[in-house]
Parts: sequence; C-alpha cells; structure tokens
Amino acid sequence: MAEIKDFQCTYDNSAGINSEVTEGLGLTFPDAYLHWDTMAALSKALKSHDGAAFCELPFCHTVEAEAMGGIINYGNELAGPRAKEYICTSPEELLALPAIDFSAGRIHEVLLACRALKEEGEHVVLQVSGPFTILNVLIDAKYVFKAMRKKPELMKEVFEKLGGEILRFMEEAKKYGADLISYADSSGGLNILGPKMAEQVVEDFTCGFLAKAEALADDNTMILLCPKTTFAMLGTRKAHFRDLKLSGPMTYGEGCIEMIGKVRLAGQMCIKNVGYQLENAVFKEVVLE
Amino acid sequence: MSSKEELLKRLSDGVVDMEEDDVAEAAKEYLEAGYPAFDGIMEGLVDGMNRASQLYEEEEYFVTDVLLCSDAMYVGLDILRPYLPEVSSDDKITGVIGVVEGDTHDIGKNLVRIMLETAGFHMIDLGRDVPLAKFVETAKEENADFVCMSTLMTTTMGGMETVIRLLEEEGLRDKVKVMIGGGPISQKYADKIGADGYSQNAVEAVKLAKRLLNVA
Repeated sequence: MAEIKDFQCTYDNSAGINSEVTEGLGLTFPDAYLHWDTMAALSKALKSHDGAAFCELPFCHTVEAEAMGGIINYGNELAGPRAKEYICTSPEELLALPAIDFSAGRIHEVLLACRALKEEGEHVVLQVSGPFTILNVLIDAKYVFKAMRKKPELMKEVFEKLGGEILRFMEEAKKYGADLISYADSSGGLNILGPKMAEQVVEDFTCGFLAKAEALADDNTMILLCPKTTFAMLGTRKAHFRDLKLSGPMTYGEGCIEMIGKVRLAGQMCIKNVGYQLENAVFKEVVLE
Repeated sequence: MSSKEELLKRLSDGVVDMEEDDVAEAAKEYLEAGYPAFDGIMEGLVDGMNRASQLYEEEEYFVTDVLLCSDAMYVGLDILRPYLPEVSSDDKITGVIGVVEGDTHDIGKNLVRIMLETAGFHMIDLGRDVPLAKFVETAKEENADFVCMSTLMTTTMGGMETVIRLLEEEGLRDKVKVMIGGGPISQKYADKIGADGYSQNAVEAVKLAKRLLNVA
C-alpha cells in the first residue's frame, strides 16, 4: 500500500494581486487580466513586490478551462478570475468539449505576455493546471468523483484528453519562452481524494502524464511540480529525489533558474513560496522510475 | 415482502455503500409497505449517513466518499420527504452557509452542510462565490441562528471579517453565531476577526455548532 504524504499549502508566499501591487500601474480590473501587455505589467509588478527571482503567469487557474468552453467571472482587483457556472454534468459532455485553440482568447494573451516578459530578459514561470483544477471550472466535483467510481474507463478518457491539452499548453509555453513550467493540481490533492483515490490517479494519469511532460524539458526549460504532486509520486514509489549541489545557498526560485538545462523535473517546494531558502545548497531533482 | 427492519438496513447500507439505485429501490418498497417516512429517514438514511460520518472520522472514508454517500442519501430523501407530516421549520435551528465572495472551492462547504443537515439543522446553502452582504440579508430574512463561511484562499478570507462587521451593523451579531473554516483559516484567525468558532473539518463543525447553540 502506498503512503502518500500531503504537502500543506502555506501562505508565507506571494499573496497575489492586491492594491499595494497595482498602485501606480494605472490598470483597471478586470480588464488588466485580459490583455498580454497588462498581464506582463502586472506580473513584473508582482515579482518586484514579492522580491521574486522570476515573473509568474497567469494569475488564476481558469485559462485552460475557459479555452475549452468554461464560463469565467473575471473578478476585480480584490478577487481574480474564477469559475462562474458549470457547463457539464457528465464525463460524456467533458469528452465532447473542443480542443484548446492557442491562437485565440485569454490563453493566447497569456502566451503573448510570456513572450513579452522573456524578451525583457525575465525568467518566466508559466503555471499550468492539472485535470482536477480544470474540471473544477467545468463540472461540479461530485459528478467527477461519482464517475471515477461508476465509470472509471470513461473518466480515464477524460483525464487522457485533459492531459493531452495540458501537454499542448506546455509545448506552446516553451515556444513563447517560458523557461520554468509549473504543474499543479491542488484540487486533486490527498486531502480531497483520500489515499486510495490519490493512488489511483497516480497510476491512471499522473505517471504517464509526467513521463510526457518530462520529455518537454530541455536546455532552456525545466518542469516544476507542485509538492503535492511530487509527494504523490514519491509515496507511490513512482519517483525518487536525486540531490544536486547548487553554487551556494539561495532561494528555491533562484535554484530552479540555476538548474535549468541540468534538471528536467523538480518539485521539492512550492514555487509560490518565494522566500524559501535552500540553505544547504541542495537542489532535489525528481527522477521518475 | 421485506420487514421494516430489513428495509431500514437496506436504506442505511445503500447510503454507506454509495449506491443510489439501491437506496431509491428500498425507499419505494418502504413506502409501498406503508411504513412511516420519518422512520425511514431517521433510522435508514440518516443512520447510514451517521455511519459514513463515523467512517470519515476514523479516516476509513474520505471527502469524496462522504459526498457520494450524501448523494445516495438525498436520492432517498427526495422519495421519502413528500410523505412526511408537515413540520414547521421554525422548530429547527437554522444556519446559513456559503463560500465567501471571490472563491469557488466548495467541496468542504458542501461536506459541512451535509453533516449539519444530517445532525438535524435546517441549512440554507448560498453556494460558492457568495456576495458578502448576501450572508447578512439571508440571516436576517430567515431569522438564522448561525452563519457558516468557508474559503480556501488567503485573498478572500478577509471577506469573513466584513460579514461579521455587517452583522454588527445590522444589529444581528448578538443573535447570530459565526463559524468559519477552510484551508488557510485557523482558530487564531477566528479569534482575530471575532468569529465564534473555527472547525478544521465537517465532523468538528457539527460538534462546534452544537456547542455554540447549546444543542445536546
């Protein structure tokens, strides 16, 4: 029996967009969340406010789902974009959703913002969402859990479809200059799924998905994992850590940047924990079995 | 024909085993046999949900399991409830529950609502991403005894304090207890914003509500 540990999300990290960050930028909300130039400006302001080593994009976890037809409330300065009403009630409906068009809509603007920041010499962390996070916008979670129990084969197809879309997003992100692509799916964490279902998700989806994601890493791009995903992989013995020495103590973000081209997959800490220090100068690569 | 006890067991087991169809079938047979709907609900469906809660507390069941158990319970309730004698909801302690504005993560909130309903509270579920004033308006309109708020995000947790302030402005704070929960929430935060209580999970939320409202 696997023993997956949960990673507790802490909030000693970026607090996200707030009036302190946006002051003086002349941005209006939610308009600022919709265009590449304002996204890039916001991202730089957030980097500076947090004292981070990199710029982050996007500012929510709804772009992939929106690009598949999800309905979004773009929010305001206080609360960012989020799901409005659900558009599906069954796995069959999820399977019928369109593939993402990366040349249009807000997801395209995110990619353009990514390129603009790269051209300004920034390191860009592009955050992509895992299947549970995407599903959270499209369908009430109870239908997902029910289908996982009653129609597991169909749900496998849904995960495969979403996995394919996420991988295509990662490929696009590379083309647009993202050097760190961060994968997270906290809506599918151990605390929600429980150990049995969490293990099933690793077996049925995460393993195969990460093998393909890892293959996207190259001299200019590293794939980062949310520690919840890392722990799920370690706990099911589908991956292990390999220690690598950094040039000296530094923040986790700086360590990631130093290891681009040397490490394919990382995930010992949450990338949003911008102040986290690797005091012993040890960087942990996630090696898939 | 099955005995009342057998049918009650099927209702209860159907909930624990998350088998909606079994629950629906047992509920119909139960009514056809002429047994009282109230017993079917309390000794069948609610008994099953209480067993599921126990399994959740023992970490045998997890959030997803309890949600599916509750789906099965609600299928049974939809069938049995129309046959209940009219009871005024004034007799029940009423709570208003929702995820605060800006946040759409509602799995935990749903679980808390289910557990509180199972424990006999009359819950008004405002859903997710609920405008802050809506909590106060509903508490006033429904003459609620308590308000439960949750959020998973630090960026939206401040809304809970706003709701407490609005309750104060409306002169409702003394009669409405406030319970909060969610990922970033803690007892310390509850103390800071002046909430009456915090609970870490759905089972604890029921205990907290009973304590705050002096329910045995």
